[in-house]
Amino acid sequence: MTTGSIEAGEAKEAKSEGGAASKAGAAAKEKGDGKGKADAGGPSIVTLRKISRSFQRGRETIQVLDGLDLEVPAGSFEALMGPSGSGKSTLLNIIAGLDRPTTGDAEVAGSNLSRMSDGELAKWRSQNIGFIFQSFNLIPVLTAAQNVELPLLLTHLSSDERKKRVATALRVVGLEDRMEHYPRQLSGGQEQRVAIARAIVNDPKIIVADEPTGDLDRKSADDVLTLMERLNKEFHKTIFMVTHDPAAAERASVQRRLDKGALQ
Amino acid sequence: MIPVQYNIRSLMVRKVTTAATAGGIALVVFVFAAALMLGEGINRAFGSSGRQDVAVVLRNGSDSELSSGINNDLVNLLKGQPGVSPDRAGEGGVPAVPGVIGEVVVVVSAEIDDGSGGTTNVLIRGMPAGGMAFRPEAKIVSGRAPAPGSNEVVVGKSITGRFKGISPGQSFDLRRNRPLQVVGVFEANGSAYESEVWGDLDVIRTSLGRSAGVSSVRVRLASNGQFSAFKSAVEADKQLGMKATRESDYFRKQSEQTSGFLVGLGIGVAILFSLAAMIGAAITMNGAVANRSKEIGTLRALGFSRLSILISFVLEAIALALIGGVIGTALVMLLASVEVSVLNFQTFSQVVLSFRPTAAVVVTALVFSGVMGLVGGLFPAIRASRVSPVEAMRA
Repeated sequence: MTTGSIEAGEAKEAKSEGGAASKAGAAAKEKGDGKGKADAGGPSIVTLRKISRSFQRGRETIQVLDGLDLEVPAGSFEALMGPSGSGKSTLLNIIAGLDRPTTGDAEVAGSNLSRMSDGELAKWRSQNIGFIFQSFNLIPVLTAAQNVELPLLLTHLSSDERKKRVATALRVVGLEDRMEHYPRQLSGGQEQRVAIARAIVNDPKIIVADEPTGDLDRKSADDVLTLMERLNKEFHKTIFMVTHDPAAAERASVQRRLDKGALQ
Repeated sequence: MIPVQYNIRSLMVRKVTTAATAGGIALVVFVFAAALMLGEGINRAFGSSGRQDVAVVLRNGSDSELSSGINNDLVNLLKGQPGVSPDRAGEGGVPAVPGVIGEVVVVVSAEIDDGSGGTTNVLIRGMPAGGMAFRPEAKIVSGRAPAPGSNEVVVGKSITGRFKGISPGQSFDLRRNRPLQVVGVFEANGSAYESEVWGDLDVIRTSLGRSAGVSSVRVRLASNGQFSAFKSAVEADKQLGMKATRESDYFRKQSEQTSGFLVGLGIGVAILFSLAAMIGAAITMNGAVANRSKEIGTLRALGFSRLSILISFVLEAIALALIGGVIGTALVMLLASVEVSVLNFQTFSQVVLSFRPTAAVVVTALVFSGVMGLVGGLFPAIRASRVSPVEAMRA
């Protein structure tokens, strides 16, 4: 899929609002049992085999993940829950190519991340992963449009093409009238929507979200979750979300639970 | 690449730290550029004092006109040496230009006219008729030229009004009861001549009881290329006991000590200051990296490479330093109207120097500030490039 498909999706929605929603409706009803293979239907886009991740703290070795296996089908919307310190963020970091497992194989979006160098991982992330962070992580000195444009600066697109894509992404999140606003001039919910526009502007295969509603009030959280559902159903983005919030997890098609480094 | 606006606006957001660091760098650039401008001023004063087609002849063993002495009869012998331009007769209002002139050079003690009561040395040059015509760059700018054979003198533009009695309409004593009357002011293309007093050769050397000789001889060559032949001939003649130097080389050598000392001192101080400024820039950039680790982590997570983070922060440090560099360079231009009087170590007389702004000074000062930014910002930028993308995930 390309960003063009986001544009196409947009046009399609304008013609028939119900069409895209009903197409993805079946997937939305499928709730996984949180164990083993998820049942969203498509081939796996994330395959983790015997993943372990440990950290050294002084002389002590802390085992965060221990022999974990996971498959995430393409096009699914998964929520990962679990108590603090259970290894959720570590798992998310490995899937997103921010961190490497100590042992085991991580194959994501067709690439084996365990064997990539730092530079290769950075390039891979820029092409395959969209990030949604708990505290939005917008660059405060750049406007909404410039923030959204950041991932496109790593491509060979012309300035005009980049501007077009930025406008499309901001239109998808309903903030086309806030392009020249700085993050401090936006509400929390709007900031997170700009961050989502930044996450989709490069048309990544997977969107990883780390507590995307953690810093938002209920109303804004609902808006953001609705937007994420739409990205999943309408634009067929695979979404892997870490959350503490049961209401947020409820919106995902698959819910998983991690405890003491292993999926329950 | 990370957009440059990111760095520029990041600097603008941190107004106080940016201003403090840029201010420190501006101070260093000011001192550095001032030293360079003084160097340019010295180069102009001494560098433009000499001509390529004029040879200065001194007694063997002398380094300056002050310590040299040549008998009158030997002066005439020089006229017959190879490469010497013959006397040019004056016609139609154009003054005669001699091919060879012998001059006497002395220093007198003069009271500085600033109320301090301090004294310093002023260089007096006694020249024969045609001495001014020998130097086409010299022009009377106020008053008139001294009458030949009189005790009248003209004073260089740089020192007029600086010493008691050495201004048009005033007089001063060469020796007790041997007054010299100032009748005019001359300029000589900003050269060191403008720090001298010029009068009649015979009056001055008679007053000093040195009628038998001159301090130095200047020889106008038929062309620049004749110098080697002239020099070889003069120095090969043991009877003469003289040495010849191109006038431009002579003045350059004269200025080396003064120039080396002043410019060296200025640049030395600036380099010392620059260490402090670079540490300041490093501290500022280090703080910026620490405060922005989440931003940097986010950029890394989005896919920006370590190298692009490194370049971005180095550019930010250079931009910060350039802000200081531009301020410092702008401020130093105020010195362009300032003149300083310094002692020429060769002649022990005062030379008035100006701070000369040139394009080369501006470019060098800005490059210097950029280098300070580069050096000061490099290690913080390396630190920034090592920020893990996982930092982006920290709440």
